[in-house]
Amino acid sequence: MPAASGKRFKPSKYVPVSAAAIFLVGATTLFFAFTCPGLSLYVSPVIPAYNAVVFLFVLANFSMATFMDPGIFPRAEEDEDKEDDFRAPLYKTVEIKGIQVRMKWCATCRFYRPPRCSHCSVCDNCVEEFDHHCPWVNNCIGRRNYRYFFLFLLSLTTHIMGVFGFGLLYVLYQVEELSGVRMAVTMVVMCVAGLFFIPVAGLTGFHVVLVARGRTTNEQVTGKFRGGVNPFTNGCCKNVSRVLCSSPAPRYLGRPKAEQTVLVRPPFLRPEVSDGQITVKIMDNGIQTELKRTKSKGSLEVTESQSADAEPPPPPKPDLSRYTGLRTHLTLATTEDSSLLGKDSPPTPTMYKYRPGYSSSSSSAALPHSTSAKLSRVNSLKEPNSICESGHKPSYRSEPSLEPESFRSPTFGKSFHFDPLSSGSRSSSLKSAQGTGFETGHLQSIRSEGTTSTSYKSLVNQTRNGSLSYDSLLTPSDSPDFESVQAGPEPEPPVGYTSPFLSARIAQQRETDLHGRFASTASPKHAAPREPSPVRYDNLSRHIVASIQEREKLLQQPPAPGREEDAGLADSGIQSMPGSSNAPRTSSSSDDSKRSPLGKNPLTRPALPRFGKPEPPPALRVRSLGSPDQPAAPHLGKSVSYSSQKTASQAGGPETEEVALQPLLAPKDEVQMRTAYSKSNGQPKSLGSAPAGAGPLPLSSPTRGGVKKVSGVGGTTYEISV
Amino acid sequence: HCPQVHSLQELRRSASLATKVFVQRDYSDGTTCQFQTKFPPELESRIERQLFEETVKTLNGFYAEAEKIGGSSYLEGCLACATAYFIFLCMETHYEKVLKKISKYIQDQNEKIYAPRGLLLTDPLERGMRVIEISIYEDRCSSGSSSSGSSSSSSGGGGGAGGR
Repeated sequence: MPAASGKRFKPSKYVPVSAAAIFLVGATTLFFAFTCPGLSLYVSPVIPAYNAVVFLFVLANFSMATFMDPGIFPRAEEDEDKEDDFRAPLYKTVEIKGIQVRMKWCATCRFYRPPRCSHCSVCDNCVEEFDHHCPWVNNCIGRRNYRYFFLFLLSLTTHIMGVFGFGLLYVLYQVEELSGVRMAVTMVVMCVAGLFFIPVAGLTGFHVVLVARGRTTNEQVTGKFRGGVNPFTNGCCKNVSRVLCSSPAPRYLGRPKAEQTVLVRPPFLRPEVSDGQITVKIMDNGIQTELKRTKSKGSLEVTESQSADAEPPPPPKPDLSRYTGLRTHLTLATTEDSSLLGKDSPPTPTMYKYRPGYSSSSSSAALPHSTSAKLSRVNSLKEPNSICESGHKPSYRSEPSLEPESFRSPTFGKSFHFDPLSSGSRSSSLKSAQGTGFETGHLQSIRSEGTTSTSYKSLVNQTRNGSLSYDSLLTPSDSPDFESVQAGPEPEPPVGYTSPFLSARIAQQRETDLHGRFASTASPKHAAPREPSPVRYDNLSRHIVASIQEREKLLQQPPAPGREEDAGLADSGIQSMPGSSNAPRTSSSSDDSKRSPLGKNPLTRPALPRFGKPEPPPALRVRSLGSPDQPAAPHLGKSVSYSSQKTASQAGGPETEEVALQPLLAPKDEVQMRTAYSKSNGQPKSLGSAPAGAGPLPLSSPTRGGVKKVSGVGGTTYEISV
Repeated sequence: HCPQVHSLQELRRSASLATKVFVQRDYSDGTTCQFQTKFPPELESRIERQLFEETVKTLNGFYAEAEKIGGSSYLEGCLACATAYFIFLCMETHYEKVLKKISKYIQDQNEKIYAPRGLLLTDPLERGMRVIEISIYEDRCSSGSSSSGSSSSSSGGGGGAGGR
């Protein structure tokens, strides 16, 4: 009886095995002594021989079952369970033939018990393929000695049956004279045999079923596979053959420790790893980690799968927007290098350090996660891109344009400063890698345009293109209508574009832009084309300035006869504002479309005219964006221009005020205004609530006066503050 | 040809046990003895993936051969039964024979592939066939002081054994 560790001698545990041994040997001996001579003499000598063989078999198996190591696992060494000890879960699941099997942590043996392994409390050992602890042999029955135990049961049953049968034969047929002693002994042996036959046969039958099913007693008794499937069975025949015919498994304990004869000496060979692989791997680790950890569905997985194709994936889905912008860009990066990456790398935090420019820029772009998540997928992803675009083009921007970057960088990191151009180019490269999803064409055109010129006009153009791209991002369907939108009234913000994220950004942008560009952007904006998209943060101040200048011009110049003249001119829209404002609201949508560029142009100077002119003509404030079906381009600037251009049919004062106020609005105010915009989009709602949020803006105060309600084209109603 | 003539001090001077990697069992096919061929990340910079996978796959093949139920194992069982298992005193079982082959293979791999890379495979039999333990040694220039008991003893024993 192998014992795993030295224990105090407990006589009680030897009682059953001793009893079993005594009964077995004693009864058999008596049988041989008293019954067999008469049988061999008068019936056949084969009988004792047969019984002797069977008894030998019983003894052999009994000894093997008793003294053989059942398959005890040696205790795990300390270094094996270092990581498993304290924070390890109690169970570890493993899939066996499609079935989840739990492996429990054994605190005594310090490892996760392999499947079918169990810890025997009597022996205090983990036993491989633990069946049960048999008291009759005082040993665990496990993988190594189950065969002998099973054969012991079979042979014992056979032996008992033989002894009982031949004893009965002896008694019934009164082989010899009814000698008192022999008869009595034979009767006693028969009784013992008969008595033990019932439990032994029962147990034998039980184990025959277990072997056929491929289960252990432990599994059967605990009901592990009661209703389910047993993953350890290979069919009845294979199970039986595995029990009886397999080669005996080796024992793990008590082996002579192999002496280590191998010498480990430096210098050590190292495998060759290319730098690209290393780099890629780092990125992959971070990305994989992020991907696995976040368990984001959809785009991230799509990106992974697509990466194998070495194709730029579609823009990531909005789930990405919930994570830090870093992850967004990590995904972007993944697409480039994913083909080189393996999927089984561990997570490393290196990713966060890998592209600081991206991380900060993307994180800055992704700050209002919750709000940006509201945007469409394309929008959410493209926002940071456009922002990056706007933020990374200092070369073509006038000095004040850098302020938003500087404004942002403290908030979001230093990346903006370190090399905006390069980061921008990097972003552009990534975007191009991304493919069509990011409208690389737009962005690249913007970039090229921006880099080629440093004048405000080019900036405006770039802005406009950026806005165009942004607008197209927001409302891709409307991008072809950009020009028409410019001409037409569009007081409302883009449909569906109510991202507080953008509003926050816009507010910040406008604040900085307003302060920074107040003077510089005033003059060039006259000739600049209409700014369609107020989303361009760098354009906000320009819009304000443009609107202010428009107002100035409107005040100075007589109103133009028609709106058509103003089409295509930034200031012309402003100039024609009085005229257009006088024009009836019945102007067709074509007029609106013509007006939209005009309306948008003054957006480049949204606030200035207003701020400079405390009493602009009411027409200036009229909002032009009467048609609700106008594209959802950013309307902050548009509203201003519209207000400066349009007639009463167009967007009213509140929107103008909103536009004017927007640069200085706090993000929450921006949200309000955005929501106001969205509400007013296509609906005849007054935007009176919007100006309320613009309270803190001093610029708005002079513009606040009476409020006149104007109904624009399409049924929109605007409140014009006079 | 072997550097065993060098002093023991020199032998143990700069190899010290850094960490151990454990390659777990692969239970996807039941309790048949297989080890996972997944490449541990700790070995990323120490050994080529190909070599490691080949080692594990070869070991898996050995274990599959050991546990194979065929004619030879059946006859062996019958013989054992017939001799009341006394045959086990004289003869080695099929499994044990394969285990000896495995041990030889592991030692060969250690000598040829793993030790030059500062790694050492441990026979899973010592761990109850639950894990393959791979010891990773670091190149440290600690002169004189025994860096770690295992490395020094192994290097010392290796030095002695190598000299034979």
